[in-house]
Amino acid sequence: MSESVAFAGVDVGSLGSKSVIFEDGKIIGSSILRTGLKSEESGLDALDAALEDAGRRRGDLKYIVGTGYGRISAPYADKTVTEITCHARGAHFLHPKTRTIIDMGGQDCKAIRLDEEGNVTDFAMNDKCAAGTGRFLEVMANVMKVGIEDLGELSLNATEVLPVSSTCTVFAESETISLIARGEKSENIIVGIHHAIANRIHGLFSRVGIENDVFFSGGVAKNVGMRKALEDVMGIRLAQPEGDPQLAGAIGAAILAQEAWSKKKILAVV
Amino acid sequence: MSLQTIGKINEALARRPAELEKARAEGKKVAGWFNYNVPEEIIHAAGLIPVHLGTGGDNRLVELGARYISAMNCVFTRQIMGQFAEGGDEYIKNSDVVFIDVTCKQLYRVYELVRYYFKARAEILGVPYNFQVGAGKEYFRREVAAFAAKLEKISGSEITGQALRHSVDVYAGIRAAVRELERIQAGPETPITWHEVYDVIQAAYYLDKDTYLSLLGELLSEIKDAPANPKVKTDAPRILISGSVIPPGDRKVLDLVEESGGRVVVDDLWSGFAPYLDTDVEEASLEGIADAYLARHPHGSLPVLDIGQDKRLKNIKKLVRDYRVNGVLFHTLRYCDCFTFKAAETKNVLKTLGVPFLEIHTEYARSDIEAIRTRLEAFIESLGTRLEITSGLIGAGI
Repeated sequence: MSESVAFAGVDVGSLGSKSVIFEDGKIIGSSILRTGLKSEESGLDALDAALEDAGRRRGDLKYIVGTGYGRISAPYADKTVTEITCHARGAHFLHPKTRTIIDMGGQDCKAIRLDEEGNVTDFAMNDKCAAGTGRFLEVMANVMKVGIEDLGELSLNATEVLPVSSTCTVFAESETISLIARGEKSENIIVGIHHAIANRIHGLFSRVGIENDVFFSGGVAKNVGMRKALEDVMGIRLAQPEGDPQLAGAIGAAILAQEAWSKKKILAVV
Repeated sequence: MSLQTIGKINEALARRPAELEKARAEGKKVAGWFNYNVPEEIIHAAGLIPVHLGTGGDNRLVELGARYISAMNCVFTRQIMGQFAEGGDEYIKNSDVVFIDVTCKQLYRVYELVRYYFKARAEILGVPYNFQVGAGKEYFRREVAAFAAKLEKISGSEITGQALRHSVDVYAGIRAAVRELERIQAGPETPITWHEVYDVIQAAYYLDKDTYLSLLGELLSEIKDAPANPKVKTDAPRILISGSVIPPGDRKVLDLVEESGGRVVVDDLWSGFAPYLDTDVEEASLEGIADAYLARHPHGSLPVLDIGQDKRLKNIKKLVRDYRVNGVLFHTLRYCDCFTFKAAETKNVLKTLGVPFLEIHTEYARSDIEAIRTRLEAFIESLGTRLEITSGLIGAGI
């Protein structure tokens, strides 16, 4: 029986912890869990869940790369790499024609440009406030008394886009409450919330530019209303990858784990 | 192993406040100054003790200073106001007069406010908007002459031609030594780091100039035969730092660059290498000094209407070539508009040369440390990948 050559990527974000097991250039297991109070434990839980999904054990892993904001507490990882580099590699794996990434995570938003090999050529980040992040949508879902997972679908039923001018979470919350009090249709308010974020993201891209294909990664990428708002506001078409866009960071980390292991092996021979 | 001369410089810095107090007790006068275009050699020639003022990196002082200056002013100017308000800075305390040149208008506001709130004896030195035209040159010559007259009045003695020549020689010696240090630290293997050189440059803010020149000579002799510092990563991406002031006391971004695996090899900061880059006084006269200051690397706050004529951009491009820079880190302080507004054009100019660029916008509060770390690490990762590609490592399948 041949020896297992498996690699893992673990992406501990502020809201979700993701892990991917990679073998023979393919994803053989993955997991997405809610990040707990301790990022190290969250990373390990995600890793174990992905291993179980893949039918592998920790001992089968040759190399682990940690990424995400929790990478600073990842003693289980052989190496840590920023989520910017990992998302680029992951998006390139899921959709090789990707040249631009919109990554919306729980606590920040990134505009990433990459070359044809999936290497980062430029990036810009918004992490000064919650605007344009999953946290912003969570707060707004709470105000609208709907589940975060329903927000996107609801926005598609809007008959008009009500402007939510502020992207400051606190002010936008007040603005939304005022719109509810005025008796505005919920779907129209929700689509306004999505457009407020899309406008903010559009501004972020003025710093790095946009080139097709555009890949939307991160947990918020699963929100169909956010996808539509980005396409409408930015005048773009988002790529439709087969894989899960929330796993892009973990996939990139797993690919980098395989590359790091190969490099180490070759250098050891040399 | 740390260099002995750097230890001596640190000891001299520790002694300096007491030395200034003693000198003042003996009748000497101290002229503190802020900004970029104060011709220090004229203060020296007038028999006054020049001290470059202003520190950074202390958010408590920023908050204190914001009681006296708008919170929309940059954190550096707010911290200066905090220093005046608290009254604890040894160098401000020991300054008999404070000169501020009107290069950065936010520091001009500091001039107005320290007089108003703290009754400081402050004087200004006008700086023209346009350095290229004859009227601008004439204006600065007149301002420098008026500045010299004020110095003579404060010191009670005339600035002689002989004193001016001596001071010009001392400062020329300092500039030559600093340029040599900057060249040596950028070598593949070096006994001295860029960070150490940056600290040595800022020791000049305070130390007696003859003592400083002598210490620079000792340092150059010591590093000539010293072994390479093993902490300097020879394969790390080589970075140029540009942008807003990074004064003594502010090491937030510099430390993060090193922690992220980057190696700074040169800067064009006005608190660092910029004043040494191309300041060459050819004629030891007030006019000669004024002309030399206008001809040097310009401060970002001065408007340049034609990007093709912007000497600051030309020099950055030259530094990128001369120091084999892999990427440019553009540091901007919150509300330091003059450099923040120039980030995009600097990025665009460097893009035409294929030089990666990252802007880090920050302040003295520590809340954004991890966000900056992520940006820097990602930037250095991408520079590392570019280096691997160009060295053929990735192409060889490794």
